[in-house]
Amino acid sequence: MSYFAGIDIGSTAIKAAVVDQAGQLIGTRIAPTGSSFHRNAMETFEALLAQHGIIRDEVKFIIATGYGRKLFKEADDSISEITANAIGASEAGRVFGGVRTIINIGGQDSKAIQIDANGNVNNFAMNDKCAAGTGRFLDVAARNLEIDLEELGDYHFGGDGAPLTINSTCAVFAESEIIGLLANGHGKEEIVAGIHYSIARRTVRLAKRVGIEDRVYFDGGPALNKGLVAALQDELGRELVIPEQPQTTTAFGAAVLARSQYLSE
Amino acid sequence: MNTTPTEAKAPPYNRSRQAREAETLLDRIEDDFPDNPEAMRYFYALFRRVYCQGEPVKHQGTLVGTTCIHAPEELIYAFGATPVRLCNGSYHYDQIGADFMPAKSCPLVKATLGSLHAKAAVPNTAALDLIVNPTTCDQKTKASAMMEAMGYQVHDLELPPAKESEEARLYWQRAVRRLALRLRELTGRKLTRKNLRQAMARTARAQAAFRTLHQLRKTAPALFLGKDAFLVTNAYFFDDLDRWTNAVEKLNTELLQRQQAGFQAAQKRAPRILFTGSPPIFPNLKLPLLIEEAGGVVVADETCSANRMLYDMTAVDEWLLNDMVDGLADRYLKPCTCPIFTRNDDRQRRLLQLAADFNVDGVVYQAFAGCQVYEMEYRSIADILAAQGIPMLYVETDYSPDDMGQLSTRIEAFLESIKTRKRNK
Amino acid sequence: MTSIRDAINGIDLRRFRFWLQLFFFVLLVYGGYLAINLGQYLPTFSCGFNNEGRGGVCYLLPLQHQLAMSWGTLFGWAGLMVLQGFLFFSLWFFVLNKGWCGYVCPLGTIQDWITGLRQRLGVRYSRYTEGQFRRLSLIKYLLLALMFLIPLGIGGALLPHDMGTPFCDICPGRMIIPMFTGDFSQLTIDFSTKTTMVMTALGMLVTGLFLAGAFFKKRFFCFFCPMSALHYLLSKPALLKLKKDGNKCTRCGDCYRVCDMEIREIADDVKEPRIMQDDCILCLKCVAHCPEQGALKAAFAGITVFESTERGFIKRMTKGHIDEHNTH
Repeated sequence: MSYFAGIDIGSTAIKAAVVDQAGQLIGTRIAPTGSSFHRNAMETFEALLAQHGIIRDEVKFIIATGYGRKLFKEADDSISEITANAIGASEAGRVFGGVRTIINIGGQDSKAIQIDANGNVNNFAMNDKCAAGTGRFLDVAARNLEIDLEELGDYHFGGDGAPLTINSTCAVFAESEIIGLLANGHGKEEIVAGIHYSIARRTVRLAKRVGIEDRVYFDGGPALNKGLVAALQDELGRELVIPEQPQTTTAFGAAVLARSQYLSE
Repeated sequence: MNTTPTEAKAPPYNRSRQAREAETLLDRIEDDFPDNPEAMRYFYALFRRVYCQGEPVKHQGTLVGTTCIHAPEELIYAFGATPVRLCNGSYHYDQIGADFMPAKSCPLVKATLGSLHAKAAVPNTAALDLIVNPTTCDQKTKASAMMEAMGYQVHDLELPPAKESEEARLYWQRAVRRLALRLRELTGRKLTRKNLRQAMARTARAQAAFRTLHQLRKTAPALFLGKDAFLVTNAYFFDDLDRWTNAVEKLNTELLQRQQAGFQAAQKRAPRILFTGSPPIFPNLKLPLLIEEAGGVVVADETCSANRMLYDMTAVDEWLLNDMVDGLADRYLKPCTCPIFTRNDDRQRRLLQLAADFNVDGVVYQAFAGCQVYEMEYRSIADILAAQGIPMLYVETDYSPDDMGQLSTRIEAFLESIKTRKRNK
Repeated sequence: MTSIRDAINGIDLRRFRFWLQLFFFVLLVYGGYLAINLGQYLPTFSCGFNNEGRGGVCYLLPLQHQLAMSWGTLFGWAGLMVLQGFLFFSLWFFVLNKGWCGYVCPLGTIQDWITGLRQRLGVRYSRYTEGQFRRLSLIKYLLLALMFLIPLGIGGALLPHDMGTPFCDICPGRMIIPMFTGDFSQLTIDFSTKTTMVMTALGMLVTGLFLAGAFFKKRFFCFFCPMSALHYLLSKPALLKLKKDGNKCTRCGDCYRVCDMEIREIADDVKEPRIMQDDCILCLKCVAHCPEQGALKAAFAGITVFESTERGFIKRMTKGHIDEHNTH
């Protein structure tokens, strides 16, 4: 039995995925990056193998991706997370009729990728200079509103009023704005919705730079947030394809690539 | 510029930090790649001497600084002076310039002004008698007054904002003649047919050597890496002209031998990249180096620190002063593809021609954050390239070393997509 | 094959032209002494007034004579003769296109010799401004029109007969070319009638202008030449063509700088491949001074005979540098 693995070493979380000889996804695992990412990456990888009863020798090829990809020596090759995400989304999106645009909102960055029918990258745009429009903004907001990240989705749909407009372009300054809104008696629901729309608008602007074409795939941790999804769909004017495990698409893509690279050699 | 006794004694702290920046880059250029050409040793040693050890720039007669390739250096040579290009690529001086320049300004201008402001800057051009500042982009134009305030003699070389009309051409010819008059005052010498002809012969030789190098880079697989090519052209800024030309001719001979031996400087399937945009100036060769470290090879460029500086050649019908001076003026204005002009048709055609001639797989377009003209042009360039099926990566960056991770992700993704494209063809 | 091509593309065009022009000058001005007669339909100023030496006759002379025939004759059977003459003229012309001007025309050659003299004396030449160029460039069409209309007017008895060859009367060729065979008889004002007095006086004036103009401007007369206008009207099917590949052009303007006729389009137009303009004398200096490989080329019957090359450019410019070094 041959297996192929992909490890996505991000700034906040490590994601690992394993596919079999046929390219079917066997399993995934997510863990925080922590301070020693090499050790945590190894542990996550080994734990994933153990979970599915796979021996290390059966894994024929490993591809690392993400910011930490160059330093993970266990990997046989490394690839940029853009390419990995593209392949992952293209594969996973086949059942939905073919993905052409990918929107990824990560912990500290966000990307828009335009791909062709084979999952090849035609164009991409990244925002990795600014936390606004990334998962970090949601963390900050949740903390200020004293609610859990997982609850953000519910709050989004819970309000009666229209979503408030968050004016700050900076995630850090938005903190003061949120506190001010709370102090003025605005409801948390409207504030949460406003934050989601702020991120959604920013993301759509990024996506327009690469050209938006159906179907649009949305991944990264924040894709679990149903409120954010609703806001994004509203701003885009079209429905999104959301995978069950949006955090692991990139690792899955890396695993698929590991398989095709091994088999073609 | 006077240096007080205390400043002269202080161990040049700026030089040590600046030196380290240059040294790190030179180490990467030399050590990260195998099989550097023998003839490049001259250039590596030159940069180490001038940038890391602070050796003064060699010159004859008065030293005239220029802030742009539009300044006709043949005139400067004809008057017995030596031109030195002041455009600076050091993050260290960029930070010094940031003290008095607006936050969103072009790092090149910040660094240049920073180096002029600093005492005992590197490269050592302490004896600048005049700075010729062509009024090209906004920031350079405003820099004139700032340089004068620092105590330099500045000559504004008036460049027209558009180059299409006859009025612009004549205006520029007169501006060049005015520069000649200023140089006459400065040096006390006259412009004669003989000395101008000699100056033009020297630069023509340098341009011919560059053209040979340029043509050799068409070879596939590549004989020579872009990191070295940029180093060679960056050396032109300050190296002695004849010495530089000799070194390049030696390099050309070696590359020809490589060509005959079928030598490969990069992998056969390495994506061939055309680099365009804001100029990579030593030590800011960040982007070309990243491209080559990620497995690509920069085979051609359209930047003013390389191709645009040396490619165009002057023709003269009669070796009389009026023809020579006007011919020079035309050569510095008409073919120029700098985005400071109104239309960019010439730039589009040149990029398309370079992409075709050099069998280019993709284009990397660098724009310095704050460089409005390059930022505004990138869409039109991306569109015409896309129409020819050539992918383009647009990168906005500045001199700071902290975006390496982000840049490498983009570059790697770009190169990966090119490789996939080629595989599928 | 490539080495022949490289050798051609790298030639010293100045020298090549000098010798070729000299050859044609001798042929057309002295050929008659060797019983050479190329006919009377030549598309160049091989002046017919040079009775003994001429190796062929400039077509404009017989043309004006023929057009001056009475209308009855002209529009009758003689018309066929005129058309036949025109046909032969066209056939001669088609071979070299406007290369007749740049390489064969004796008046052109004389102007180039005067230019050479000026260069040796170190006197600078003058250029037209864009406005002047545009305004003056129509004069040759005017002269061409007059050259047709005046003889026709004579044939219709509308104009006096002694204006029979109006262009030849004012053409500097009539006065200058016979001088080369020792015949100075044309350098007079004919006082026989008022008309001839005016015409020949004009002729002296034009000749004076010709000489002075050619001293300060390269190919001064060619700008106003009606033969040039006539050429251009027929130039489409000609065999020798000047072609441009706009994609390779960097618009550096080197070609414009060396062009004797100061034609801007050579440098500025990057769309049109048939780049020869009405003033062009096909001297091919532009091709010789273009540093971009294959941007400009001269083609004969579709085959490229001379092309701009980087090597050729560098060779010629370097030679210029070295020549200067030796003479100064």
